[in-house]
Amino acid sequence: MFIRRRDGRVEVRMNDYGRSVVRSAFANVLAAERDPDHEWHVALTGPIDPSLDQDNPVSMLKRQTETSTNAELASLTVDEQFLNDAEAWVWLTTLQVALRSTAQTNGLHTDEQLAAADEQMLAYVHTLQSLLFELAACF
Amino acid sequence: MASTQPLRRTTTEGEVQTDDAVETKRPWNVIVWNDPVTPMTVVVVIFRKIFGYSNNKCTQLMLAVHHEGRALVWSGHRERAEGYCVKLQVAGLQSTIEQDA
Repeated sequence: MFIRRRDGRVEVRMNDYGRSVVRSAFANVLAAERDPDHEWHVALTGPIDPSLDQDNPVSMLKRQTETSTNAELASLTVDEQFLNDAEAWVWLTTLQVALRSTAQTNGLHTDEQLAAADEQMLAYVHTLQSLLFELAACF
Repeated sequence: MASTQPLRRTTTEGEVQTDDAVETKRPWNVIVWNDPVTPMTVVVVIFRKIFGYSNNKCTQLMLAVHHEGRALVWSGHRERAEGYCVKLQVAGLQSTIEQDA
């Protein structure tokens, strides 16, 4: 699905279904970062220093800004056939955020909980893992 | 003479602050936590990109996370530790900081 070409770009060879999965994942990360009521929002706002009641606001803002910027760039390039290095990187990080948010929101914190997940959830997790596995190979 | 008083105070304050300074010199550790869904190769790529470690070191750290549930991936000043922690979280890994015991 992802091939690093000689010119340095990453070629995206994905069918319509794959694009729709990726588009949905990017859109959800962006929405979750902006909407405190989104089910993934808690997963995106985990503690930086758990010993404190509240983390440094500057670091929290930096995290929010970077995550949003990545998801925006990923969404803007979702239909591209070729990605440059920075674009491929934001695809990887945003897909990874989507994968972990999905797991956290659905209580998949251990291997046992993952094994006991319903088929639809497992299929979605495996799809994101496959995308990440292939994209990681380009770096 | 009038100016010596503040200077002495400054010196005293400096000495008093020495204890605090020693306290804050304990390094801050960046910890990455295991999760059951993140592919191993993704963890290695993220470590390499963020820290610039060798492939070998990234693989060792990834395996430590996988087998021990957590791994110390960087240690040093608090501000940098916090910065690395944010970068790891933005990249989708579960990460926190804690001061060295």
